[in-house]
Amino acid sequence: MNIEINDLTRRFGRTTAVAGVSLRAGPGVFGLLGPNGAGKTTLLRTLATVIQPTSGTIRLLGRDPGQYGPRREIRRRLGYLPQALGYYPGFTVAEFVEYFALLKEMPAAAVPRAVAAAIERVGLGDRARSRLRTLSGGMLRRAGIAQAIVNEPELLLLDEPTAGLDPEQRVEFRTLLRDLGQRATVVVSTHLVEDVGAACTEVALMNGGCLVFHGTTAELTALGEGHGVGDAPLERGYSAVLTAARA
Amino acid sequence: MSGIWPDGVAPADVDLERVWTGVAAQVWRRNPRLPERLLARLLRSPGLARALLTTPSLLVPWLIASTVVFAAGALATIGTGTPWVALLAPAIAGAGIAYAYGPGVDPAYELSMSMAVSDRMVLLARVLAIFVIDTALGLAASAFSATAAGVAFGWLIPMTAVSGLALAVAVVTRSPNVGVAAGTGAWAMTVLSGQAAFGHLAAALNDHWLYLPYLVVAAGSAALVLIRTAQPRRSA
Repeated sequence: MNIEINDLTRRFGRTTAVAGVSLRAGPGVFGLLGPNGAGKTTLLRTLATVIQPTSGTIRLLGRDPGQYGPRREIRRRLGYLPQALGYYPGFTVAEFVEYFALLKEMPAAAVPRAVAAAIERVGLGDRARSRLRTLSGGMLRRAGIAQAIVNEPELLLLDEPTAGLDPEQRVEFRTLLRDLGQRATVVVSTHLVEDVGAACTEVALMNGGCLVFHGTTAELTALGEGHGVGDAPLERGYSAVLTAARA
Repeated sequence: MSGIWPDGVAPADVDLERVWTGVAAQVWRRNPRLPERLLARLLRSPGLARALLTTPSLLVPWLIASTVVFAAGALATIGTGTPWVALLAPAIAGAGIAYAYGPGVDPAYELSMSMAVSDRMVLLARVLAIFVIDTALGLAASAFSATAAGVAFGWLIPMTAVSGLALAVAVVTRSPNVGVAAGTGAWAMTVLSGQAAFGHLAAALNDHWLYLPYLVVAAGSAALVLIRTAQPRRSA
């Protein structure tokens, strides 16, 4: 298992963002769904070792991120796309991706080829030498995805990766996700139920910091049968689970 | 394609995508400049070297601004006899160090927090680099304004304290502006208190009884930064 979480809780002052979540995930594409404020981003930031859990245990890629050595090893094999991607406006796309490849401690000799491959995979080859300040929102998002996958991560965490992408790019991105999910554990946090339906093998649904559903997309769809809210079968499943959780 | 292979078909074992990636890698690769190459060798980490050169307060405009302020301080010292270089050095270093690293300074801070080169290492390398550069500028300005020779080294200890305080406050509050305000504010109060008590601005530099409090502030600030940037062991 690449992700093993047991009773994980994260509080910010008096606010409990994640409350007692337990989860296990191996290779594949894992969708994390939920309304705003459900705790998806906090869970993803914890998995990215950006923040520490308040309580509970967590193991990533078979290692304990609470210790310096294992955390460093996890980070070498991790890809992370935050919800709000910060960037250096004066960097080119290639420089931006290269910067994070170096910070991931990739062997220097392997970096140029890895950077080129990542940029090509997200379809930014023709803008590789463009400054980031000249790119559109969707292109910036793709540059962010490129830095996340540059090290061929075994654990890839993507927070709202399709925000700003046009429909054609979203279709291409789902194909990329499925490809990455062959070897790695890919966790995708999103509001877009159709992205989950098209690319994810497993799905978890969060509400109020708690995990209220964990299963396959087919199981979530089945829960929505006979439920009126939602245009698509998966959306009806999502609504049915949320309605039950809130009740 | 038919110009290369007579039958118009590429051999099956040629992976054109791989070839193109190799070409693109060569075309897009960045050639690090000499300072970056030297730093990478010195720090034994190309990533840390690159992170050091993206420090906001080590960028050329900031360095030019610091040099101009030190130069103005040197001229003012020569003109008035008041050791302006020594009085300015702690404030300049404090501001630079508060702007070394953090969520309010580094646009990609959130991403950097998930990298193998630890954010603590980046912070320490940047702080050290800024301190060394500001010390060098201060020494050059002091040497130029020979009238201040008596206090040329007196400002190093206050500079350490002010830099430490500015950094600690910036780290704790996650705001470089608050760090700068705390560091320069505390230094201004110390200088003005010295003037009120002894009648001259240089009292905060010359009075040896202040050295111990300066060192205590510097050590306490360093300890606070180390504690705040350490990631606790919460997982099993």
